[in-house]
Order: sequence, then C-alpha cells, then structure tokens
Amino acid sequence: MEITVLFFGILADATGLNAKSYNGIDSFDDLRHRMEDDFPGIFHYNFRIAVNRVITEDNPVLKDGDEVACLPPFAGG
Amino acid sequence: MRLIEGPLMPGLIAEVIAGSGGSHDTGAHALFLGQVRRDRIDGRFVKAIEYSAYEEMVIMEANKISKTILSEFEDVRAFEILHSRGMVKAGETALLVIVSAGHRQQALAACGKAVDLINERLPVWKKELFEDEPDL
Repeated sequence: MEITVLFFGILADATGLNAKSYNGIDSFDDLRHRMEDDFPGIFHYNFRIAVNRVITEDNPVLKDGDEVACLPPFAGG
Repeated sequence: MRLIEGPLMPGLIAEVIAGSGGSHDTGAHALFLGQVRRDRIDGRFVKAIEYSAYEEMVIMEANKISKTILSEFEDVRAFEILHSRGMVKAGETALLVIVSAGHRQQALAACGKAVDLINERLPVWKKELFEDEPDL
C-alpha cells in the first residue's frame, strides 16, 4: 500500500522534508523501518502519530492511501 | 477557527470584536490575545516566531474544542479562535480567543479553558528566530 508521511515542527527540520510517500508498505512496523532507514534516529525524537488526522496508538493498522503525520509536542498560542 | 498568515493586526482584531456584538442576550465578551515575547534564550533574544500548522487537523481539533466549550459552559453563546501561521515578530499578536456569554463568570472561565485546550491540543508548532540571525 501507499502511505504519505507528513513531518511537522522539529521533524520537518530534522528530515528536511514536509512530506514523503512510501510505496509497498505492508504494516506500520514496515513503515517504521523504512523511515528509520531514511532518517536514522528519527524515532528518538519525542512525537506522536496521527493517522488521517486522528492521534493513534503506537502500532496503528494502516490501509492504502492513509496519511501518517509525525507530531512533535504542540506549541500553539 | 481561522488561520491567518502573519500577525493578527489591530484592524482584524477590531473587526472580530465588532462582529461579536450582535446578540442581545449576550452580556459579556472575554478576550484573550497571545503576543510573541522577546524571550532571552541562552543569551540570545527572540525577534520573531515562525508558526507552522497541520491545517486540516487544526480545523478538526478547533471544532472539538468549540464543542467542549459550548457543552461545558451553557451560558456561552459564541466562540471564535484566530491563530497566526508564518512569521510573527516580538510584540505582535499570534492568537485571539473571544468568548461571548450571557454573564461574565462563564465568559471568563470559558476563555481561560479554551486557551488551555488550544495550547494542549492544536497541532501548531513554533520556531524561534533570534536577533543575531539574518532575516529570512
């Protein structure tokens, strides 16, 4: 399946990207490994995951076309 | 909820306040303005903050915050949030929350609660820019 990953805040700076598409993903764990390959150490940052704009558990079930957002601690206001 | 490019200028703030006055059963408006501070961090002064937002989720979360406020404070009649994105200089306004209610107690309490929820739940991030850095 194809998954779009969005990076915000410090993670956009760390990866140098706002978004990246991943093809041939079969699970969140697979996506996690692919992200770790592309951006070593990324999972050492403090962030939560949202799937299709809803914050989820650590190991969400993904489906084709999902949007996975990496959300560092919020700082609005 | 509205995301505004750059600072919330005085004219816009005045328009939002004027637009809140229509209902005759409203007796109180509580207003919060969040302003960028010239903080000193590790000996360097902040000259501006660049705000970024996950826009689609900001709108969803703001709707949830609005529902929470309207259900917890039954005297609240209207509620509006404006938040900046992009560059806002020290001394400029980046957040406006206005709550209109029948009476002042609920207007003030709901406004305080809304600001807390915005800080906790709105997917917005800030990046400090310092006085010793060149302008972008």
